[in-house]
Amino acid sequence: METAAEQIPLEHFLFAAGVLFSIGVYGVLSRRNAVLILMSVELMLNAVAVNFVAFAVYTDGALFRGLIFAVFVIIIAAAEVGLALGIILRVFRNRATANVDEVSQLKW
Amino acid sequence: MVDMEQAWLIPAIPAVAFVVLAFLNGYLPRRGDFIAIGAIAAAFILFFAVAIDLLDQLPGELEHNTSGFDWLTINGIQLLGQTNDFVLRIGFRVDQLTLVMLAVVTFVGLMVQVYSLGYMKGEVRYGWYYAVLSLFLASMLTLVLADNFLLLYIVWEGVGICSFLLIGHYFERRSAAEAAKKAFVTTRLGDVALLIGIILLWREAGTFDMSEIFHMAEAGEFDQGYLTMATLFLFGGAAGKSAQFPFHVWLPDAMEGPTPVSALIHAATMVVAGVYLVARVMPLFEASYDGALYVVLAVGLITTFISAFMGLVMTDIKRVVAYSTLNSLGLMMVALGFGEAGVGPAMLYLFSHAFFKALLFLACGSVIHATEKQEVTALGGLGRKMPITSATFAVGALAMAGLVPLSGFFAKDEILVAAEHFSYAPFILILATLPITAMYMVRVYLLTFSGEPKDAHAHEHAHESPPLMSWPLVLLAGLAAVAGFVVFEPIGKAIGLESGFLGFVESVLVEEVHAFEFNWPIAIVSSLLVGGGLGAGVMIWGGEAAPATAAAARFPAVHRLLLNKFYVDAFYQWAINNVVLGFAKVIAFFDRAVINDTGVNGSGEVTNGLGFLLKFQQTGKLPNYALAMILGVAVLAIVGFSVKG
Repeated sequence: METAAEQIPLEHFLFAAGVLFSIGVYGVLSRRNAVLILMSVELMLNAVAVNFVAFAVYTDGALFRGLIFAVFVIIIAAAEVGLALGIILRVFRNRATANVDEVSQLKW
Repeated sequence: MVDMEQAWLIPAIPAVAFVVLAFLNGYLPRRGDFIAIGAIAAAFILFFAVAIDLLDQLPGELEHNTSGFDWLTINGIQLLGQTNDFVLRIGFRVDQLTLVMLAVVTFVGLMVQVYSLGYMKGEVRYGWYYAVLSLFLASMLTLVLADNFLLLYIVWEGVGICSFLLIGHYFERRSAAEAAKKAFVTTRLGDVALLIGIILLWREAGTFDMSEIFHMAEAGEFDQGYLTMATLFLFGGAAGKSAQFPFHVWLPDAMEGPTPVSALIHAATMVVAGVYLVARVMPLFEASYDGALYVVLAVGLITTFISAFMGLVMTDIKRVVAYSTLNSLGLMMVALGFGEAGVGPAMLYLFSHAFFKALLFLACGSVIHATEKQEVTALGGLGRKMPITSATFAVGALAMAGLVPLSGFFAKDEILVAAEHFSYAPFILILATLPITAMYMVRVYLLTFSGEPKDAHAHEHAHESPPLMSWPLVLLAGLAAVAGFVVFEPIGKAIGLESGFLGFVESVLVEEVHAFEFNWPIAIVSSLLVGGGLGAGVMIWGGEAAPATAAAARFPAVHRLLLNKFYVDAFYQWAINNVVLGFAKVIAFFDRAVINDTGVNGSGEVTNGLGFLLKFQQTGKLPNYALAMILGVAVLAIVGFSVKG
C-alpha cells in the first residue's frame, strides 16, 4: 500500500508552500498594522518549514535533516515572535499606535 | 710608519673630532677647541708622512697609493638605455695634485684654527664653531683624496653645508642668514650641474672611478660630443663652488661669517675645490672638443675682469679682499683653460694664493677684532698701532699684487708664460688686470693703515692682536713671501720636488715634464705693470685720496656701476622676483585652482552632493524597506537563474 507521501507528488507540497509564502509576502507589504505584518512573517516562515519537511520526506527519508531544520524554524519563529511583540508593545506604549507608517522617525 | 695607504686617516681624524665636538662640546673644558686643533695638527703631521712616501716613489709610477672599500653595490641599474652597476666606494687615492691640496688645506686649516682661539674667544656657539670647522676640513680633505666621483660629490656637498653653517654662524643677524642662504643656493645650482655631469659619465662608463674614466677618455671610448657635454656639466659644478661668473655673487656676501672662516673658505677650502676639480678632470677636458676649454678660459677671464674693477670701489675691507679672491680664482680658471700646460701654473697659483689670501683675511680679522669696524671709511692710520698686522697685511697685499719676489709674482708669471704659449688675447687681457689688482690692494692698505684715522674712537680703541692671532699672521706672511721659490729646480729638489713645483704637478698628467725656465721678458713686463699699478695706487689714494674722490665725482656713472657690482646681483634679484616668483605664482594658482579646489574639494563636494540626493531613500517607513528587500531578492534570483541557465 502506498503511503500518502507516495500518492501525492512533491510538486503539490511545493506549490502549497509557494502560495503560503506569497500570501505572507503580500501581507508584509500590504498590512500597516505591525501585528499583522508579524503574522505574515509567520506565514512565510511556515511556508519554508513546509518546504523543508516535504524535501525531507521525498528525498532524504532515512535521515531527518529537513525535519530538524523545520524544528529550528519553529523555535526561531517562536523566539522572534516573543521579541517582536515585545518591541511592538513598547512602541504602542510610547506612541499609542501599532501602525508602522506612523513609526518613521528613523530616516534622513 | 704611515704611508699613502693610510692617507684616509688625514680626513678621518678631523671627522672624528667633529663627532666628538658636536655632541660633547658642552661637557669638555674650553668647549673642546683643543680637540679640533689637535685633530688638524695630526692631519698636518700625517700629511708629511704621506708626502715622504709619495716623493720616495717619484719619478715613476705610483704604487700602493689607494685605499678604501666598496660600501654599497647595486647591480644592474638602468638609465636611459644603459645598464650599469652602481658602486658606492669609500676610496682614497694620493697623487701629486692631491699632495699639493693636502699641504694647503691642512696648513691653512691649522693656522685658521689657532688664530680662531684668539678671534672667536667668548663668541656664541664657540664649541659648535670648532666642530663645524673640523667637519669642513674633513670634507675638503676627503674631496681631494677621493678616487671616485660619487664620493667626491658627497663631500662636495659636505663642504657646501659646512660653508652654509659657518657663513651663517651669527644667524641671529639677518644679513648673515641671508648670505648663508645665498651662498648655499648659488653653489647648489652648480652642484646640480656637477651631479648631472657625474651621472652622464657613469651612464657611459659604467663606473665612478676617476682613473678608469680618464683612461677611457684618453682611449677615445666616449663619444666626443657626449664627453664634452658631461665635462661642461662638471665645470658648472666647479664654477659654482669657485664662484666663477655668473655664480660669483655669493662669495663677497660670504663675508658675513666670522673672518677666520672667510680665510678658510677663500684660501683652502670651498672655492679652491672647483679649481682642483677642473685640474683633476683635465684628461676629460683634453679629450673633449676644444670648446670645453674655451668655456673655462672665457669664464675665468670674465671673472677676473669684473672682480678687478669691483675691487676698486668697495669700502668694506673684507669685501675688497673677497673681490681679490674672485680675481685670483678667475686667473686660476684662465690657466686651466690652457689645458694640460695650465695645470702646473694654476696649482702653483692655488698654492701661493692659499698663503697670501689666508694671510690677508686673517689680517683683516685682526683689524676688525681691534677696531670692530670694517668699513675703510671708519679706519685709517692703524699702521702705528698695529705694526705686525700692518706689516703682514702689506706682505699679503704685495704678494696678491704680484710684486717681485713674493709668491704671487711667480704664480702669475707662470700663468702668463702659459698664456703666451697659448694665444695673445688672454695674455694681454691678463696683463691688463695686473695694474688694477695692484691698485686696489694698495688702496685698501693705504685707507686702512696709513693716513689720518677717520674714526677717532675706533682708532684709540685699537691695539695689536694677541700672540695667538699674530703668530699665524707672521708664519703665513713668511710663506706668502717665499712660497713662490718652489718653482726653481734647486729649491724644489731641496724639499723633495724633482724638477721644481711645476714639473711635480705636471707629472700627474704627462710622462715627460718641461724643465723650468725663468722667462725674463715676461717677468720684466709684468713687474713694470705691477709697479705702475702700485705707484698709481699710492698717487691716487695716498694722503687725502683726493684724486680718487675727484675721479668718482667725474665719472659718477662708472662709479655707480662698479658700486652696484655691474648690477649682476640686482639682475639676479630681479630675475628671482619676476621670473622665479612669477613662475611660482602660476604654480601656486595651479595648486589652488586645480589641485585643491577641483581635485580635493571637488571630489568631496561630489560625494557630498550624491549623498544628499541618495539620503532620501531612507524614508523610515517599514513597508518601503520590506519592498526594497523583496525586490532585491527577486532581482538577485532572476539574475542568478539566468546566469546559471
